[in-house]
Amino acid sequence: MNVEKRRKVESFIALSLSTLAAVFGLFWLVFILSDVLVHGIGALHPGLFTNDPAPPGISGGGLRNAFVGQLLITISATVIGVPVGVLGGTFLAEYARGTKLARVTSILSDIMVSVPSIVIGTFIYAVLVKPLGHFSGWAGAVALAVIMIPVVLRTTEDMLSLVPWTLREAAFALGAPYYKVIVQVVYRGAATGIFTGILLSIARVAGETAPLLFTSFNNQFFTTDMSGPVASLTVSIFQYAMGPYDEWHQQAWAAAFMITVVILVITILGRLLIKWRYK
Amino acid sequence: MLQKKNPVDFAFSLITALASLTVIVLIGGIFVVLWQESSLSIRKFGVIDFLLSTDWNPVTESFGAATAIYGTAVTTLLALLMAIPAAIGIAIFVTEIAPDFLKGPIGIAIELLAAIPSIIYGMWGLFTLAPIMANYIEPALQKSIGALPGVGILFQGTPMGIDLFTASVILSIMIIPFTASIARDSFTLTPSVVKESAYAIGATKWEVVKNVVLPYSKLGVFGGVALSLGRALGETMAVAFVLGNNHQITTSLFDAAATITVTLANEFTEADTDVYLSSLFYLALVLFALSFIVLAVAKFFLLKAERRYSR
Repeated sequence: MNVEKRRKVESFIALSLSTLAAVFGLFWLVFILSDVLVHGIGALHPGLFTNDPAPPGISGGGLRNAFVGQLLITISATVIGVPVGVLGGTFLAEYARGTKLARVTSILSDIMVSVPSIVIGTFIYAVLVKPLGHFSGWAGAVALAVIMIPVVLRTTEDMLSLVPWTLREAAFALGAPYYKVIVQVVYRGAATGIFTGILLSIARVAGETAPLLFTSFNNQFFTTDMSGPVASLTVSIFQYAMGPYDEWHQQAWAAAFMITVVILVITILGRLLIKWRYK
Repeated sequence: MLQKKNPVDFAFSLITALASLTVIVLIGGIFVVLWQESSLSIRKFGVIDFLLSTDWNPVTESFGAATAIYGTAVTTLLALLMAIPAAIGIAIFVTEIAPDFLKGPIGIAIELLAAIPSIIYGMWGLFTLAPIMANYIEPALQKSIGALPGVGILFQGTPMGIDLFTASVILSIMIIPFTASIARDSFTLTPSVVKESAYAIGATKWEVVKNVVLPYSKLGVFGGVALSLGRALGETMAVAFVLGNNHQITTSLFDAAATITVTLANEFTEADTDVYLSSLFYLALVLFALSFIVLAVAKFFLLKAERRYSR
């Protein structure tokens, strides 16, 4: 085989392997999603949303407590985390733009985005659960908020930086103070981007389990009292899937299906929004 | 920028400044709080002894991190070994091979792998992957590679599917999208002039990728790999389902083991003595410090890469 031919064959093999790698990645995605779909849809029934868990080993029962708990914790986390993240991002992109402080803070936020969520769980356990003496929904919400803050902060900063500086100058020229320029001009220009950041951060925390294990814990009973232990879908999935009963496994699959669908829909929606707005 | 001092403006700037400081306060706070909570264990076991001791015994109240660190290291390294080639292959496919109409959809599909919650990976791993591993893949590996001299030690025991190998496979699937998307972004930043001149002197597509694109984007790829490493270190639920939480150092990949995260997830709410709880906080501190360093290195590479491209 001459050199020319060998190089062509080599190239063909390498490119085929790359294509295989892409097929490999797609294979897992399809495998996991179809598995969750098949098991999950079969286990879905109306009682899942209207009944509370039955005692172990007794059939019937649903996960109403976990659905409501998950919703409460996620909404509370959003209410706590989003304002802090958006305002923090505003500071980095506007008042502190270009300063060393802004650079250091945004690097630390990037690191914080990937800090193991279980570590954040232990941290919240030490500052909120141990001193108060009991698990609580609020502790879970704060733990999730801590995970959300750097995500929202970084996307807000990036999105505000994309707003052309001349737009601000036009508003300055009319005599508007900076805060008015930010609230009425800059936020408006970056609204879609910030909203997408918030959506993606919700998708990120909605599937979190580890930090909830030591904060909101779990609750077999229906409750809307966030100052006590609150059930969540993810912790219920963990408990039910690890449990010995087939009925539990069924319910875990149904819950897994619901949470996967919601998170994927939010994620895809966010991506489409970004694409549509910033193409 | 702040021409006239407007009181409302000043207040607004102050509020936003405080909000951005929460990140620094949180990171500092996590270090300080975990340090304080683990002080009992630090005093009792020291640093070196804790890290090297393989003892993890709640009954005798003797704790060491070596088994958990070993499990974390093995699953992480094995996962990286499987994920990196796949991720780089995917990035090459998306940037250089795929037709334009496939680039977007495949990119998004791979990133959806990162959006699936880890609890779903764990559950799927326990109910679907572990049985497949135990019945087909692990016995096959045992018969083929395991029969070779030297490496057989890695494939001993009865394949149960709940082991280091299955956990690593799941981890590798989970981290593929992180390396893949950063590698893809770095690849697309290679100036097309450089690529075109390589093609002009007769290079094949693979030679362009190997000799132009990869060297040009290596900083970004390193950053992506380090980021995946950080993710794999801290992954909890996916591993918790299929690792078995067994504190032992084992040479076989087909044995149950424990990682730092799995130990925390399984034992934190059960810790009944102060030393036990403190040792768990100590583990969390080790994990936090470890992942902080890895993620800082990742960020360093990515920033350096960014600066190079913008030049």
